[in-house]
Amino acid sequence: MKKKIGVYVCHCGGNISDYVDIEKVKDAVKDEANVYLLKNTLFACSDSSQKGMVDDIKTSELDAIVVASCSPKLHVPTFRGVAARAGLNPYNYVQVNIREQSSWAHSDQPTGATEKAILLVKAGIARAAESQALTPIKIPTTNATAVIGAGIGGMRSAIALADMGTEVYLIEKEMSVGGHVANWGNLFTANINGNELAASLHNEIKKRPNIKLFTNAELTEKKGSIGNFDIKVKSGNETLPLHIGAFVVNTGFAPYEPVSGEYHFGEYDNVITLPEFKKLIDTPASELVYKGKTIKKIAYIYCVGSRQDEEGDNKYCSRYCCTAAIHSSIQVKSKFKNITNLHFNRGIRTYGKQELHYEESSKNGDIYLQFSLDSIPQIEKKGNKTIVKVKDILTAGKELETEADLIVLVTGMVPRKNENLTNQLKIPVGRDNFFNEIHMKLRPVETVIDGVFIAGTCQSPKNILETLNSSMAAAAKANSILTKGEMSLEPTLAMVNPAACNLCDNCFEACQFDAIVQTEYEGRKVAKINVSNCKGCGMCTPVCPTDAIDLADFTNAQIESMIDALTE
Amino acid sequence: MNTQYDVLVVGAGIAGEESALKLADMGFRVLLIEKEPSIGGKMILLSKVFPTLDCAACITTPKVSETARHPNITLLTLTEADSIIKENNGSFSVTLKKHPRYVIEKDCTGCQECETVCPSIVDDQFQFNLVARKAVYIPFNIANPRVALIDIENCMLCGSCEQKCPSNAIDFSQKEEIIQVKVNAVIVATGFNLFDPTLIPRYGFGKYKNVITSMQMERELAPTRPFNNILRPSDGKTPDKIAYIFCTGSRDQTCGNAICSQVCCMYSTKQAQLLMGALPMADITMYYINIRAFGKGFNEFYMQAKDMGAKYVKGKVASVSEKENGNLILRYEDIATGKVTESEHDLVVLSVGLLANPAITSVFKDETLEIDASKYIKQPELLQSPALTSIKGVFVAGTATAPMDIPDTIMSAGAAAAETSGYLKQLS
Repeated sequence: MKKKIGVYVCHCGGNISDYVDIEKVKDAVKDEANVYLLKNTLFACSDSSQKGMVDDIKTSELDAIVVASCSPKLHVPTFRGVAARAGLNPYNYVQVNIREQSSWAHSDQPTGATEKAILLVKAGIARAAESQALTPIKIPTTNATAVIGAGIGGMRSAIALADMGTEVYLIEKEMSVGGHVANWGNLFTANINGNELAASLHNEIKKRPNIKLFTNAELTEKKGSIGNFDIKVKSGNETLPLHIGAFVVNTGFAPYEPVSGEYHFGEYDNVITLPEFKKLIDTPASELVYKGKTIKKIAYIYCVGSRQDEEGDNKYCSRYCCTAAIHSSIQVKSKFKNITNLHFNRGIRTYGKQELHYEESSKNGDIYLQFSLDSIPQIEKKGNKTIVKVKDILTAGKELETEADLIVLVTGMVPRKNENLTNQLKIPVGRDNFFNEIHMKLRPVETVIDGVFIAGTCQSPKNILETLNSSMAAAAKANSILTKGEMSLEPTLAMVNPAACNLCDNCFEACQFDAIVQTEYEGRKVAKINVSNCKGCGMCTPVCPTDAIDLADFTNAQIESMIDALTE
Repeated sequence: MNTQYDVLVVGAGIAGEESALKLADMGFRVLLIEKEPSIGGKMILLSKVFPTLDCAACITTPKVSETARHPNITLLTLTEADSIIKENNGSFSVTLKKHPRYVIEKDCTGCQECETVCPSIVDDQFQFNLVARKAVYIPFNIANPRVALIDIENCMLCGSCEQKCPSNAIDFSQKEEIIQVKVNAVIVATGFNLFDPTLIPRYGFGKYKNVITSMQMERELAPTRPFNNILRPSDGKTPDKIAYIFCTGSRDQTCGNAICSQVCCMYSTKQAQLLMGALPMADITMYYINIRAFGKGFNEFYMQAKDMGAKYVKGKVASVSEKENGNLILRYEDIATGKVTESEHDLVVLSVGLLANPAITSVFKDETLEIDASKYIKQPELLQSPALTSIKGVFVAGTATAPMDIPDTIMSAGAAAAETSGYLKQLS
């Protein structure tokens, strides 16, 4: 039982104190058993406040602290660090979330928010009183990664990792590397061809002995956890066992395929997608010809498969397509004579320096017409002519119509179907069905699965530059963890009291990680935890009929004391 | 202080912090310099971030304190690179200028007693001049280091702070320090400059009190806000008809910036959502050219702002004029009707753009750190190794390369760390 507990109640600027009455919270908990010191702070996480806590712990010889601020997702490492610097075991610190769970959830009811905050803080104090010192488990790690997908992103991750001294297994599903980009010609913002870029990266891969490339390959098995995964890779007819420390998933996107009849795709023979158009203009010829017909007038229809608004549709913007279409329209005009480009768009999104392409195209005399989703362009055949009709926002809603030789549907990106991989690695997907990062702003290449990093367009639509940056960032993150050769694991694992165990099998069935094994204790068989497999999920503790299993840092004594505090 | 480091990182905004942390985690010794008195860059001054509406201070302070505390990072604030010269062996000889703080960093407790006695009152640049500060001051509440400094240009040298300071931390005898170090690589993470809206006089910034910048609105909305309420400057009234003028200083060749600033559509949309929460009765009108809601969750966030009631009007604002009561008349072409239209608002927010900050290029003495047509640091291998610059051993991260949002900055900084680590491994 901890006797000298320090309690810190955070205002979070106004995020908490605008709704929760901090003084009332302090007043309500000041007489709780074992509370030795009680303070409020504008930002508990600020450096000065952290320094103050370190001083308090040292001078008042606190044996536990409670920080009532935001979600543990944000600041558990911060305040564990505070405890450690003050010489207090980090597991004698308890985080209480009075922001997400009180002030933000009940901003319409400040009184209720305050009452809830009081109870949560009381429960936190009770938990801290029952807290025990724990020591993280140190395990050796393997400085090797599996990079899944050898498009330009995956190849760039592999090169970066190899150069930083990490062994790389580069696993590609197809027979060749380079992904979509290998099929593309001239790329926007840099004067380079897609096939050259892919070939150049492939060449760099070949130069590095610490990259092993497997084509026609897939991940068939994954066991273990960060630092030490045992995987199997099937390449052709061979299956190889590999030992790695982390994954960099770089599986890319799939191009949106218009549904049959969407803008008469599949019905009219002169309606094609942007990737098809890019291929067409890359073929060496002096005249632009499609299916035997000379092309002079091209209508681009934007946002096909993106920015839709029906439930189940793709509500997101695919980010690269505006610039890619405009860049293609510049290419086609510089390569062939007498081309007219008509851009039927929903607001051009050539963000950043890509704006310069938009400007160039405008100077070329391209015509921009804008429509809204409730009035999309209509395509009709009149004899052998194709007519596009639009209600144009840019001319105050005038109904305009024009003939076009070729209709280019500016198609976006959709998430690739990777069921096998998603099941193996258990990476969560977001509402848009792309892989989800753990924190969109500051941890964009990490996932909730430790040791599984995501990069490139499997996370969300990106252009090539953005894909490269994220691929190298994921490489940096993986290397910075693995290069040390060892890491600390959370000690919040299950533990069996063998004297109380009757070996009933319940916990074996509840455990999803094969972490419970049999052992001998005083001549009888009992359950035991294999610490390298245990994830501390807690599934085994409630099913034990004799309460023989406890979860460190979430012990039965802690949970019961919290319930008592909440219901008193 | 050590005089040998693996890497010098110039700039301790989120890009510099991220690059420094990744390299430090890999075991490299990093010297991180920042010209301002606090690290954290522009992000630490923001209210909330789009499209998650996370509190900016809450998510950035862990990174800030991790940077300040990392055993492999040596951090110098109020410090600028004066010259960087490449030696024959490929390493760099760096001369740093550390400006005097006139406060002994290790002795200052951040109690702010000095501020209470200082007689000199000046505009607070960290609150974007919405309020004033003293000549001796702590930059802002969550500054790191949270230590006072004296703005000597505005100091009357009265000595009051020196007498008041309970820990004798004031030291007027401090001089500019010249520090020489050797490093094997340099990361340029010098960020961006905000567009100065006085360059577009027809919008009236600096002349009409109720025309403010988006950065000033960020401060009004921030947890460490100056007024604890949304006020308009002329009379302290709570505004109820707010206009945003998008693309102020972006996509506009008349003020020398042809490119799009990439973040203003979204930060304005975020501010609109926050304002609708803070002032439920206020009308918010967004005058835009195109909405660039392109990133993950951005388009959904834009649609959400519309659903909440923000009015988006397609039309570039031509000019702003002021009425006697301080209200403002916007003149613009309403694209939906094709007519030149006027509308009245009681507060106008200029969505100011991001500009390149190429000052660092003059520090490189023997080789040229090249810039591109938009004056950002040139990336000669843009689509292969985006962190490389025109000088071998010098790398670039974040908005020093182009306008970008926070996640793109974090990824660019991670890429710079990867490239630098690979380079350093090759050297050794």
